[in-house]
Amino acid sequence: MSGKIAIVGAGPSGCYLAQALLKAAPELEVDLIDALPVPYGLVRYGVAADHQGTKAVARQFARVFERQGARFFGNLRVGRDITLDALRDGYDAVVLAAGLSQDRKLGVPGDDLPGVYGAGELTRALYDHPEAVALPELGPNPLIVGNGNVAIDLLRLLAKTPEELEGSDLGAAASRWLADSGIETITITGRSPAAQAKFDAVMVKELAKLAGVRIAVEGAGDAGEGSKLLDALAAIDGHGDGPRQVTFRFGLTPVAVEGAGRAQSVRFAGPEGEEVVPCSAVLTAIGFEAASDAGLPRDALIAAAQDADAGRLAPGLYAAGWFRRGPRGTIPENRADAQALAALILGELSPDPAKQGRKELAALTGAVDYDGWCRIDAAEVAAAPEGRCRAKMASRDEMLRIAAQKEMTQ
Amino acid sequence: MKITILYGTETGNAEMLAEDMQAELEGAHEVECLNLSDMEPGAFDPAQFYLLVCSTYGDGELPASAQPFAEAVEAQKPDLSAIHFAIFGMGDSEYDETFNHGPKRLAELMLARGAVQIGERVAHDASGDDMAEDLAFPWAEAVIAEAGETLGEAA
Repeated sequence: MSGKIAIVGAGPSGCYLAQALLKAAPELEVDLIDALPVPYGLVRYGVAADHQGTKAVARQFARVFERQGARFFGNLRVGRDITLDALRDGYDAVVLAAGLSQDRKLGVPGDDLPGVYGAGELTRALYDHPEAVALPELGPNPLIVGNGNVAIDLLRLLAKTPEELEGSDLGAAASRWLADSGIETITITGRSPAAQAKFDAVMVKELAKLAGVRIAVEGAGDAGEGSKLLDALAAIDGHGDGPRQVTFRFGLTPVAVEGAGRAQSVRFAGPEGEEVVPCSAVLTAIGFEAASDAGLPRDALIAAAQDADAGRLAPGLYAAGWFRRGPRGTIPENRADAQALAALILGELSPDPAKQGRKELAALTGAVDYDGWCRIDAAEVAAAPEGRCRAKMASRDEMLRIAAQKEMTQ
Repeated sequence: MKITILYGTETGNAEMLAEDMQAELEGAHEVECLNLSDMEPGAFDPAQFYLLVCSTYGDGELPASAQPFAEAVEAQKPDLSAIHFAIFGMGDSEYDETFNHGPKRLAELMLARGAVQIGERVAHDASGDDMAEDLAFPWAEAVIAEAGETLGEAA
């Protein structure tokens, strides 16, 4: 089957979709467009720096470009460099897989005080995202609000000793920042009882390897009720005798962030009434939502969708991954989703030979192609210092400069 | 030799390795590659040598594509005593407590039905330095050579 398909977002959902489409129909022209000069989205900027095994899916995604014939158009932002309408005119099908990048806010008084940071904002800063803010000062007693795997990732990173980050791709600035953090306690709170927390048990168990902490789990309820998560929480309770105190708390609903000009405590509604927990910073990990973006108005598109569950927004326009479903689901769940969507698209595709496809994108200046990404990738791996597997470029300008460099030696 | 590669995958990494193994072995052998989700427990053929490639997911569980197969084997209890297999595992030592538990469970399932395992269960570590294929290709050559002797004698 011929046909031209543009996928907006070269993260895991977009890459899995391209993989499934090209496996079923190798003759398709599939183009992956990303606002960043580099592909793989959350595999690069969301999966934790010390979870390199999880990042191994990037090898599959490289094949999509190297063997299956997909093309990468990086550094192109839909709505700025090309409109969604122009893309739809140029392709038989357009799939929006741009993810959800903005942290959900607590929605309580004080949630915009200095000292309140979103998990996405903080991980982008930790992982050298080109649009990241500077790494903030957290003080000795950060408090994490959230009971999902993103919260556990943050907790683990903040709790690790420098030695425990060996083999990661955590950058020099973030590594220094962590080593000098002066963190004494980390409290992690969830609104639900422990049994309903969204942590994966395996992520909780991993904390039992931390050398520099002592862990207390308060009010989780009894283990041995057939819940792997409760068993895992019970197993880490009392772990370690390191200098950093990690405390898990449950059943605490934030009511307000309080402090004079800066977050100094969180007032919670708990099982025994209100409680004020002092802290030096608040890190929220309670989900993600669409950033307001006139060029790609996610919420409006989903609200007007023909069939949001299947991923069809309008004839020839589809949505995949977190962009469609909301911020839930791990990498394999998005793979299964992408495979189902590929089948739907292939069943509906009616190729129009008059569509211009990638010719239209090729006319745009400033795009980074797959070879350009390979030059960035090679430069990052070559620059890895001792104890690191890569040194990410944090600057878009530097990425663009390296991507544009042709081979110097013959 | 007639070889069937069966893979159990969750993220697609085991599927990719299985396809790479097929491409590597095709020159010298007759090789099929099949997702475990498409394998009927009653469809095992004694004339084939089965190479299993399997990852681990979650808390030491079988990957999604191997789960229906495991359930069907447990329900149907087929006699696999004439079947020869070897198994290659993919795991991540970040999760050391459950490292490569998926392939271990799959091997136990086959052995419980009487199937004969050739060679050792080898495990790739996604957090290690080796590429999966750099371990898997020499492993496949070795177990195929060993199976050649065993299946040859059986025939």
